[in-house]
Amino acid sequence: MIKRVLVISLALLFGLQAGFAMAAATGNPDTGPGCGLGKLAWQNYPHQKTIGVQVLEATTNGTFASNTFGISSGTSGCTNDGQFWAEQKVYAFAALNFDNLAQDMARGQGEHLTSLASLMGVPADQQPAFFAMTQERYAFFVNAGESSPSALVKALNDAAATQPKLTKVSLNK
Amino acid sequence: MGFRSHRLEPRKLLRFIFLCCLTAILQPSTASSGTAAAGDPSYLAELIERAITAHLADEREWRVLLHYRKNLWGGFSSMQDDPGFFMAADGKTNPQAELAATLTKFFSDELVGRSKQPAQCAFVARYHWLKDKLQFDDRRLPAQPCERFWRWFNEFNAESISVIFPTGFMNNPSSMFGHTFLRIDAKGQTPYTRILAYTINYAAEVPPDEGPAYAFKGIFGAYPGYFTTIPYYLKVQEYRDIENRDIWEYRLNLTEQQVRRLLMHTWEMGNAYFDYFFFDENCSFHILSLIEAAEPSIHLLDRFPFYTIPVDTVRLLAESGLVGEVVSRPSRSTLVRRKREAMTGEERVWLNRLIRDPAALRAERFRSFSIEQQAFVLETASDYLLMRGSGGPEGEPFREKNRSILAARSQLKVAPKEIPIEPYVKQPDLGHGTSRIGFGAGWRNDRAFEEINVRAAYQDLLDPDYGYTPNAQIEVMSFAVRHYHNQSQARLERFSPVNMISISPIDSLFMAPSWKLNLGMNTINLGSCQLCTNGYFNGGVGGAVETHLLGKQIFYAMGEVEADASKAYEDSYRIGGGGSVGMLTDITDRWKLVASTTYLQYPLGDKSHDWRWFVGQRFSLTTNLAFRIEYNHRSHDNDVLATLHMYF
Repeated sequence: MIKRVLVISLALLFGLQAGFAMAAATGNPDTGPGCGLGKLAWQNYPHQKTIGVQVLEATTNGTFASNTFGISSGTSGCTNDGQFWAEQKVYAFAALNFDNLAQDMARGQGEHLTSLASLMGVPADQQPAFFAMTQERYAFFVNAGESSPSALVKALNDAAATQPKLTKVSLNK
Repeated sequence: MGFRSHRLEPRKLLRFIFLCCLTAILQPSTASSGTAAAGDPSYLAELIERAITAHLADEREWRVLLHYRKNLWGGFSSMQDDPGFFMAADGKTNPQAELAATLTKFFSDELVGRSKQPAQCAFVARYHWLKDKLQFDDRRLPAQPCERFWRWFNEFNAESISVIFPTGFMNNPSSMFGHTFLRIDAKGQTPYTRILAYTINYAAEVPPDEGPAYAFKGIFGAYPGYFTTIPYYLKVQEYRDIENRDIWEYRLNLTEQQVRRLLMHTWEMGNAYFDYFFFDENCSFHILSLIEAAEPSIHLLDRFPFYTIPVDTVRLLAESGLVGEVVSRPSRSTLVRRKREAMTGEERVWLNRLIRDPAALRAERFRSFSIEQQAFVLETASDYLLMRGSGGPEGEPFREKNRSILAARSQLKVAPKEIPIEPYVKQPDLGHGTSRIGFGAGWRNDRAFEEINVRAAYQDLLDPDYGYTPNAQIEVMSFAVRHYHNQSQARLERFSPVNMISISPIDSLFMAPSWKLNLGMNTINLGSCQLCTNGYFNGGVGGAVETHLLGKQIFYAMGEVEADASKAYEDSYRIGGGGSVGMLTDITDRWKLVASTTYLQYPLGDKSHDWRWFVGQRFSLTTNLAFRIEYNHRSHDNDVLATLHMYF
């Protein structure tokens, strides 16, 4: 599973990014309320400071929640039955938890950073090195994250590739 | 406080009576409007016959899966309100017909329910239960592949289920008593990746901009409630980061088979909605219904006939032996409080300075701290700035400061200091019961009396606050009946549908207002009008501080308005305003003292003024037994009451 996510996310990053950017630019009709977060092109969603709050407001007052996270909620292919599309998981997580991720990177550990690492497929024994790297290059990663979740995930992947201790990640194990 | 009778609206009642006239014999034809059956039609008749012989429709499992409950006439009706949930036209009230119709639909690949799937897949828990009971022959009743269900099921990779309880939140009436939902804990998850789990949440769908009608409609079931699977990290943000509520997590001891049944039934709930009733059929109630589906032999819903308070459902699960590990997830504000408590005086000064202006971190004095100390202060400052910065554009200045703080923190290559974070709200299921009855006696001026007082829910300032939000009072439906010795009859001494007080100590970091709201009737003595009934409304806003002189005290002051209506007054009413000051202190773990005084001036109606004093002390004997003495003074009216309170 983890491997698949990583393969897909890397494929997206390096191969299909142009395609997704185009879809976003032309306006994906499925991204409005009523179809759902599940299919939202998270990796290109421009990071807005309040996106987490917007999503929460939408999910807590219920109007969005039953469309987005509703169980077997009708139109298959629109909401994926209340779950995130596998290839969107890591971006959705990065976009929706950016503030907590930034804090974890700054102090070099935390459950949000561990969760992101696990979504990215970083093996448990390499996570300490991964965390140390995020702290080391904190400013760079935060700048990337402020532009978009995909920029953050790509920056983390690229950085891992040049880190001797983390080569396994870049080799897409 | 729970109203159930409204469910029998005339239309439903007529329909019910009509149905009573039908025979209870199975009638597969009532539902067989589907497409031609795949499989063997003679096998259907055989299965229905065997189901009747085995009385499957009377079994507990069937009732749980269809949410049937006994109604007033001794029959059954389902709480489920979506017609697509039933395969028979009269399925809501006829378990037998529903079972036959369900079997019929299993032979068809017609798409049913809101989720538009073949019946075997849309109602996968029913299918597997009946398959097991009747030993379906797959050649005569071919099994549908149900790829959509299995993809959904496998994605959870479920190992166990936890009940999640975000504690009460005073500043939103719909969250006062807390909330419960389930978390699907995946295999291989650790405490550090737990936030990736999905949840099963039941909530009312309220249209945007609904306004004050929300409260009323919420109580009377005007909104449909749906189940959703929101990722846990979003729920953690909502409760821990934005609303600052401590979260308690209760791992349930369910077997793999039970977890599977629970998820299968959850999938069926995608075809369902219930009318959401704030007091009884609320989030906690329907979450219990999913746990019943996991293990039908456990009776949970029967214990909540009138109203369902979230903590009571957690307590019941614990008493039923279903709860394993219990952990807390402290709110952002609790983190800041506890970290600050662990600081030296000088560290606290720098915490305040950094929060005001992050440029202070370049000061030489701050740089002279050890790296560990600097990191700890910076992390706490970041927690605080994130707490204030969660929200819309008005949070931006805090988020901006947080960036500078975190950039500085990232330069310090030390691991965060680990300190124990004691939650602000202690383990909720270990607190006292949510209802209370008291037996008391005392004197009012020179009259002796006995009193019985009852409170449906939930907590007052004198009650022990273990498991409850400290310094918060929520009393719903409380009353007292008294018998005075020189009177032949007992009288209703006090009644209050709602009486709330929220006291939030203010300091350099936390600045929430304190407030109170009280509505009801009491008994007054005024001039010639002795023991007269008085209706009142009182509301106030102010602030509080916490001091630490020999233990802990909280002092508060509030400005307030009050309206009274009684025949004791000239023109039968008076309206005025004034203020209160008070003090709360825990003298020992068991012994608490509350004292307050109030002055009110009434310029409207009966022009008058009032001085009031109150001193109350409570001593806890056990978790659910406490003794208290209260002294109440109003102009020329003194009341002393000693009460033994039992919580249940």
